[in-house]
Amino acid sequence: MNMKMKGLPMRRNRRKRFGYLPVKPAVFFMALFAAGIFSAGKAIAQEITEKNMRFIEYDGFPEGSSAWNSIGYNPYDNTVYVGITDHRDKVALYVYNASKDNMQLKGFVSDMARLRDFQWQAKIHTKFVAGKNGEMFFATDGGESREEYLMENPKGYAGGFMLKWNPAENKLTNLGMGLQYESFKDVDIDTASGKLYAISYPQVHFLVYDPQSNDLKDLGRLGSTHVPRMLFTDRWGNCYYVDWRQRLVKYEKRSGKLVFAENSLPAFEGTPGGYIVTGITAFAKDEARGVIYLMTYGAKVIAFYPQEQGIGRVEDLGGAMDIEGNEKWRYYIPNMNVGNNGKLYYLVGGHGMYAIKDRSVFVEFDPKLKKPKILFEYPSTVFVEATGCDTKDKEGNLYFAGKRNVPRSERNKGNLGELGDRPTVPFLVKFNPDKTVQ
Amino acid sequence: MKIVFAALLALCALQSSAQYDFWTPKEAFAIEVSLENAPSMKRLPIYRNAITALAVSGDFILGGTSAEHGLAPFVFAASLSKRELVSFKDMNEVIPGQRRIRSGFSKGNNNAYYAGTIPDDLSRGGGRLVAVKLNARGEIDIQDLGSPIPNEGIFSLTIDAKKNMLYGISYPTGIFFSYNIATKATRTFRDIVPTPKELHTLDEYALGPDDYLCKALVESAQGLIFGSFPVNKLFCFDPKNQSFQVLSDSIPEVWGRKSLGQVESWAKAKDGKLYGGNAGDGQVFELNPITKKVKNLGKPAMMPHVKGLAFARDGRLYGISGGAPGYTHLFSYDHNKGFLDYGNPEFDMVAPGIEQGIRWRGFRIATLIASEDGKYVVMGEGESLSQLLVFVAEDK
Repeated sequence: MNMKMKGLPMRRNRRKRFGYLPVKPAVFFMALFAAGIFSAGKAIAQEITEKNMRFIEYDGFPEGSSAWNSIGYNPYDNTVYVGITDHRDKVALYVYNASKDNMQLKGFVSDMARLRDFQWQAKIHTKFVAGKNGEMFFATDGGESREEYLMENPKGYAGGFMLKWNPAENKLTNLGMGLQYESFKDVDIDTASGKLYAISYPQVHFLVYDPQSNDLKDLGRLGSTHVPRMLFTDRWGNCYYVDWRQRLVKYEKRSGKLVFAENSLPAFEGTPGGYIVTGITAFAKDEARGVIYLMTYGAKVIAFYPQEQGIGRVEDLGGAMDIEGNEKWRYYIPNMNVGNNGKLYYLVGGHGMYAIKDRSVFVEFDPKLKKPKILFEYPSTVFVEATGCDTKDKEGNLYFAGKRNVPRSERNKGNLGELGDRPTVPFLVKFNPDKTVQ
Repeated sequence: MKIVFAALLALCALQSSAQYDFWTPKEAFAIEVSLENAPSMKRLPIYRNAITALAVSGDFILGGTSAEHGLAPFVFAASLSKRELVSFKDMNEVIPGQRRIRSGFSKGNNNAYYAGTIPDDLSRGGGRLVAVKLNARGEIDIQDLGSPIPNEGIFSLTIDAKKNMLYGISYPTGIFFSYNIATKATRTFRDIVPTPKELHTLDEYALGPDDYLCKALVESAQGLIFGSFPVNKLFCFDPKNQSFQVLSDSIPEVWGRKSLGQVESWAKAKDGKLYGGNAGDGQVFELNPITKKVKNLGKPAMMPHVKGLAFARDGRLYGISGGAPGYTHLFSYDHNKGFLDYGNPEFDMVAPGIEQGIRWRGFRIATLIASEDGKYVVMGEGESLSQLLVFVAEDK
């Protein structure tokens, strides 16, 4: 499989910024500099250049448009897995081998999982999680409206399916469905027991599945109108989610029960209810420091210190982004990674929500300083949106599932935009704050 | 304003699934009844709060719940004006060992509401009849009237308030019983208990008592008690002569699915006609209690179940269709417009800690009731953490 690697047609934050911006925005950004929002140019920031980031394209699936948090790292062979979808009925499995610097299309889920036409799957919306023997687990999604509203109609939805990829045999195993008419928005794993945790869509049911015994437990509904997209685990194998009040809910492995935090996670005053019920959009584990960083849909960065029993301590690290004139809670950040340097990295933008009009920004957040700093800024036709979190290879490279808008062209006769059926092009983002990756 | 609009736009973008507008009556709200680990608020804990019985008494919604195995249910009261849970009583503290209150509440004299329970372990005793009263503050008093049938729970219940008589069906056998509230005299009847042959038929379809016993009884204006029994039949009990009549008309069926026939809900119209819902395939039907003839009104949605039916002050019959493993559709019926499907109800929920309000979507609604004046239509969820959804019917 050929691999295309491109340099970055992006703008580093402090280089020629105003050359391509109209006057008013230029004045606006000068004000931001004055306010200290952007870096004043510390040594480490100056070391991060375009060479610290690379976009890697996917070959062999031109209809593929996006990835929806469908990314994960396999320490077994230092590989990164990505599910790319046409957002209709075709989902491709790609594996990037970080050691060999090689991207491979492994096949299409419908074929490899032996699905029939009526078992169409529009997405993988879950992350990929690694089992202790090198298997990768994930699950499928219906892509929402067609699934949700047609439901039991013959044109409706059959799925979602839990799946297991065996890298040694290049083989996909279908582990079966979860709840009838319900797809999956996320999974995680307790590597010690091999049990999978899952959250269903649209009814927000928390499921525990044991692939060994085929036992599926439905622990009930936890959410409101919108399904929070993120499950995460701690080092003991407990799993976390949020309820409709954005309170942490822990599946306590030892007791097999759900434990609810009494208080909600921090949120900015005025955060709308629709943002609260959407909960956490990304996490990143810094295991060396015993902390799991959380990103909320209301754009708060939170440090969570898990403990084996009970809910652990929560620390509010402040806003993920702060642009004058913007509401503090209104930034779209469904992605986050933590570098070996202990700092957080994420792209702000997409889904019609931008920190800077029609431009996405790549941000470094220092948990010690509790401050975001814009590293790069992109037009949406270069890099509009990223999903995926906590994906880091053994060399400390961080990965995001990125995409860009297609400019007006034969392929896109409409406006730019990453929503609905407007075309986008997916690519894998490889970033390392400490060394070049190009 | 621009910011608010942008926020809404963004939220819509994220929630791109919402291709349909949710039904928005002029006044509607959700009440947070259940929330695990909420010591500073009155809330019901997880797995004990599926709302399977409802009534409206003045400003209060009276609720009865069902719990998962090994756990006990609650009786609760929520204020319509305050839009909050005001009190609840753990059934384990009143009558230990009970698990389900699924009979609904039947209003008797002196503002007493009667219900029946199903125990967690039937080998340890039968379900109880209870009389529930609310005081002006919504505080709950529960009186234990005893167990009408040993080792049998109470699956469904109705009342002839004038005669102070309760009528019910036991679980899991399906014994019909009457209970005189004043004298506590109980009579049992095995006329509608499934025969061994019928049980064999039901077993062929892997159906249990929850699938075939009559889930709702109704008293007609003439004092007759109507209900269903396997397989797909309707009966009428005449208290005057203590006799049963099997109606010549059956529950409307989809060919081949007769075994699923089960009346799940009733509503009584002002003209005395009865309206029933079939759990098996989701048909709504009209039953003339005098001619005892059935008219199939059709299916409000493609799904099975009609878990609740009630007339509101706008003259419409409201009901809920569907449910797990899919989700509920709220519908209405009137003779002019037929069925209208309002979809999956979703209303605003405001409570301490969520003062800005969140939207609450009623995926699995277990029961529906209207206030006596028909102003409020109240729906109770059957979830691990269940809430109430309320809307105000238009004043005709």
